[in-house]
Amino acid sequence: MTEIIVIGAGPAGVAAAVTAAEAGARVTLIDENSLPGGQYFKQAALPAPASLPPTLAENFRQGQALLAGLSHKNITFRGNTLVWNVTPDRTVSLYGPAGPETLAAAQLIIAAGAYERVMPFPGWTLPGVMTVGGAQLLLKGQRLLAGQRILLAGTGPLLQVAGVQLLEAGAEIVAIAELQPLGSIIARSPRFLGHRDKVKLALNNARRLKRAGVPVKFGYAIVRATGENEVSGAVIARVDAAGHPRPGPESALAVDTVCLNFGFAPDTRLTQLAGCKHHFAERFGGWAAITDDNMETSQPGIFAVGEVRGIGGVEAALPEGRLAGQVAARKSGYRTDESAGPTRRAARRARALVGQLNTVFAVKPGLMTLAQDDTLICRCEEISAGQLRAAIREGITTLNNLKPWTRAGMGRCQGRICGPILAHLLAAETGLEAQSAGQFTVRPPVKPVPLSTLLPQNNNDEVAHDK
Amino acid sequence: MTATRLGHPRPEPSFTIMVNGRPVEAWPGESIAAVLLAAGRRVFRQTAGHAPRGFFCGMGICFDCLITLNGVPNVRSCVTPAAPDCVVEAPE
Ligand SMILES: Cc1cc2nc3c(=O)[nH]c(=O)nc-3n(C[C@H](O)[C@H](O)[C@H](O)COP(=O)(O)OP(=O)(O)OC[C@H]3O[C@@H](n4cnc5c(N)ncnc54)[C@H](O)[C@@H]3O)c2cc1C
Ligand code: FES
Repeated sequence: MTEIIVIGAGPAGVAAAVTAAEAGARVTLIDENSLPGGQYFKQAALPAPASLPPTLAENFRQGQALLAGLSHKNITFRGNTLVWNVTPDRTVSLYGPAGPETLAAAQLIIAAGAYERVMPFPGWTLPGVMTVGGAQLLLKGQRLLAGQRILLAGTGPLLQVAGVQLLEAGAEIVAIAELQPLGSIIARSPRFLGHRDKVKLALNNARRLKRAGVPVKFGYAIVRATGENEVSGAVIARVDAAGHPRPGPESALAVDTVCLNFGFAPDTRLTQLAGCKHHFAERFGGWAAITDDNMETSQPGIFAVGEVRGIGGVEAALPEGRLAGQVAARKSGYRTDESAGPTRRAARRARALVGQLNTVFAVKPGLMTLAQDDTLICRCEEISAGQLRAAIREGITTLNNLKPWTRAGMGRCQGRICGPILAHLLAAETGLEAQSAGQFTVRPPVKPVPLSTLLPQNNNDEVAHDK
Repeated sequence: MTATRLGHPRPEPSFTIMVNGRPVEAWPGESIAAVLLAAGRRVFRQTAGHAPRGFFCGMGICFDCLITLNGVPNVRSCVTPAAPDCVVEAPE
């Protein structure tokens, strides 16, 4: 039995592991990536060049400071290791460099992070159209600039943050298409009172983009991407308060890269498998694991921290990780001196802000009309909006029913990309709330693993579950 | 579109991987996706419906960036490091 297992070596998981280890507990920290850091502190296996663009250099420095804690003798880091199943009794199934393995944990901390939300439009599957995070991961993890003439489209402050990073790296930002009209952001700005530091950062980004001559178009959406084998153009248009494109002129832009982000969705696959309870709210970015003040889920001995509890950003992830690390160490019989009060307050404060951002920069239902009947929604199985609309007209109202009927969500990504979109499509077609679409039921493995891992006597064919 | 390596030329020695029988330059620590993008290749595969696909999420969840590596199909190039013995098949 391992004292404490932490799944996910992003800011939340690393903070949990270091805190528990410093209290004296033995911790196994597992991540599918070869290096710790997670998404925000993505590390490169390449040596850092003598000069990095300033914001990347700062991110790198902060990440290094956090990750230095992992050298503690009580921490075993296992990279390149996928956790493909978790059970309510805290049995963890791994697939790593040495093959399959099963571990049992006295305390289990799930810090699996989030993934990006995107919305579909004609041309969104063309190579060169990618997520904002994907372009950031190329910068941080590969020291690679994805394109030269870039359109950023979607909603939320990340568009401008990434715009500055890409600009510093040498790209031309052709435009930023922000879904929310400026007026509605300003009208709701009192929600950000008390977070002056963050507002200052945002205004600073806006000023830098302005100085560089980047047009930031509020109340706009990308309606089309064009190109033969890769993207060479994009069309943006004004949208109304509900997200429907307005009749009137469109702007055609010559671009070689389009980066999309419509917020994030918590990755609850592991907490679902562990039988933890979840709840839905726009401020969480969708379905999120429920915990108490100690970060413990409805399953005793299983903790959830960071994005899994709802999108809260890096500044919620760090204190929540520390809290879970403390409590798990205490439950394992170790003393911790750190008082939980200030840590808890820091986490709440960060969540309060990001929760507001998630509602101010929410996806709008009218965007679903951008997907024409021949636009793909499920990229893996190549299922179009028209096929899905026809199925919904037959009376389907939930994700779990849509899947066997249409195959949407059955492919390799297991609904990670199309799941949130399908929920919007169901809502748009049925008039029901997005949450009534439910979540896809999760079955192991959470990502394809060699079949031999599941059925020892079989060959090495890959299996995507649920086929 | 060719992606740009920051801080180039990189100080450490490069190596080559084979892409459709032709050598492509790579640096230690780069993913196969990064090597393909830096070589100006954006189409990584064709779908069953004959549509081109490439790099999309960059974090191993979308499975759009699949390539055939050393004869093994459906390898995610964005999370797979390039190594000197890599033989990659991707459509022309
Ligand atoms: C692509 C991307 C870019 C982002 N960029 C920014 C940004 O610029 N600024 C910002 O404030 N926020 C950004 N975010 C938001 C980000 O989620 C948080 O800021 C922060 O990284 C959350 O920390 P975390 O520890 O909760 O999750 P993460 O940092 O996402 O870490 C989760 C870790 O768990 C691992 N994991 C998940 N499932 C498994 C499994 N089954 N087996 C093994 N390992 C697993 C993952 O590999 C990952 O390393 C970004 C998010 C994404 C997805
Ligand atoms: S780009 Fe999404 S899995 Fe590689």
